[in-house]
Amino acid sequence: MKSIVFSSVAAALLIFSGCSTKKPAVDEKESQTKVQEVAPVQTETISSENSSVTGYSNGNSISGSGHKTISELEEELTSVYFDFDKFSIRSNMQSTLSTDASIVKSEASNYSVKLEGNCDEWGSDEYNFALGLKRAQSVKKALIAEGVTPSSITMVSYGESNPICHEKTQECWSKSRRVDFKLLP
Amino acid sequence: MKSIFALLIFVSLLFSDATIEVIKKVDSLPSLAVEDSSIEYSDTFKLKFYKALIADLNVISIFNVDRHHRQVEFTQNRVDVANKDMNYVLRYSLSKGDNNALFVKIKLLQNDKEVLYKRYKIGRDNVYMFISHAIAYDINEFMGMPSVEWMKRKVIFSRIIAPMKSEIVISDYTLAYQHIAVKGGFNIFPKWANKRQNSFYYTSLDGKKPTLKYVDISRGVSRSLMSSDGMMICSDVSEDGRKLLLTEAPDGQPDIYIYDTVTHNSKRVTKYSGIDVNGQFMGDDSIVFVSNRMGYPNIFSKTIDGSDVKQMVFYGKSNAACSSNGEYIVYKSRESSNAFLKNTFNLHLISTKTNFIRRLTAVGVNEFPRFSRDSDAILFIKNYKGQSSIGIIRVNHNKNYLFPLKYGKVQSMDW
Repeated sequence: MKSIVFSSVAAALLIFSGCSTKKPAVDEKESQTKVQEVAPVQTETISSENSSVTGYSNGNSISGSGHKTISELEEELTSVYFDFDKFSIRSNMQSTLSTDASIVKSEASNYSVKLEGNCDEWGSDEYNFALGLKRAQSVKKALIAEGVTPSSITMVSYGESNPICHEKTQECWSKSRRVDFKLLP
Repeated sequence: MKSIFALLIFVSLLFSDATIEVIKKVDSLPSLAVEDSSIEYSDTFKLKFYKALIADLNVISIFNVDRHHRQVEFTQNRVDVANKDMNYVLRYSLSKGDNNALFVKIKLLQNDKEVLYKRYKIGRDNVYMFISHAIAYDINEFMGMPSVEWMKRKVIFSRIIAPMKSEIVISDYTLAYQHIAVKGGFNIFPKWANKRQNSFYYTSLDGKKPTLKYVDISRGVSRSLMSSDGMMICSDVSEDGRKLLLTEAPDGQPDIYIYDTVTHNSKRVTKYSGIDVNGQFMGDDSIVFVSNRMGYPNIFSKTIDGSDVKQMVFYGKSNAACSSNGEYIVYKSRESSNAFLKNTFNLHLISTKTNFIRRLTAVGVNEFPRFSRDSDAILFIKNYKGQSSIGIIRVNHNKNYLFPLKYGKVQSMDW
């Protein structure tokens, strides 16, 4: 699925041969001048990328062992949403969490739970990833308080890298500030 | 007499501080024209090389560069009549070698006299941009300006191409050359492992837990180093490459750890129930980092072995990323909580020895600042109007340049 392409080129790229100063022969004849005015140099926008990307597959299908498949159970688990720059559980999310916890303890008890923390698009730095993780940790604590076994829960943060919408609106951003549930065999 | 001497010292100190913004008029820079003497290549390739060279000469920020592409015979020293008033004229000629090799010869003319002559060779003409960088580097050296060694360094960045899908790319600083080093999966936060840039670390989020991986480019070896629940990011590598500052989150608690790549010992450096991330070495025994211990993200420092934490930045409501080099810290600061404004995140520069703050960017989302090793330049990510770019700030020249991506979004980078 994943291939690592090593650059043999990269090392060779930097081998230049800069030679020492050498006086060239002087040609006295009149120069042949061609003038072409190029577009103003946009020192603020220098675009010259030309790489391409090859496709790849991400086989990730898992089938459940109970009456419901993993994907069916995941659909029943509702994401938990958060306020801007916060990782505390909102009061209006408590009932959602209780429902999620009861599913995890009953129908999904044979699976591990992976909590995926997410953020809005306000930055791709480590802090945003940590914020997503702290959201996942808050959900984990709430699940444990509801009786879910701690060892069955893992966490990860995807920062801003897993948006479910792309509009530049408050509504879209609030949908991205969430913790999703994934089940692992 | 004493007071004049004191004033001179004060002025010289003032202008050696990079946090002081020095406004230079473009007109005060010497003028430079570039003449093309190439015969063998197509007009398209000639123009491509010319543009790359003009861009590099602009970035070194020591000339007022003319943008007219004039074609002049190489050997004579008399400059084109249109360039007779230029302070300098750079003339070059491209020629083909065997197996697509590219040869370039240049000469720098001043008052119709040749003051510099050099020749260059590279194995393939499609990586011509590295010769362009080398020419600009050599001319900067010839002019006796502070080194632009960073111009020759490679940039490594993670490009998000779809939700939870990315590729790790090695490029030159202008993004003109790009090589996909890791493709497939979700891999982020690449970091060069040493000064030679022949190996790097990155975080893979494809497994059950975030995993730190190491790739040795020269030997073609990749291996997993360690995993942590929640987060596992290499934030910084020590000058000698031996020690790493990692953000790990066992039990979901993000803290900074120091890891010795020789002894494989790991030690927790920060202990706080909130968020501590983005550790950056500051000298041999201290770090700066981002923490929300005041209720919002801000920049702090501490010694690696001690427990006292010192607030470093006193401006900005939300300062969520930083990079340090010697006495300087560059950090990202949120200007407004209104995301609909055009300037939401800007970069600021401070010195640990003065109280000055210098704002380095003006519009857009500017983040992920990374100092060059000599503090002369800062590389950063800019997202503005749906366009993701890598930018470079010439700190001592008060100039910014942007190199946009044609697709995807830059998640993080190092150089």
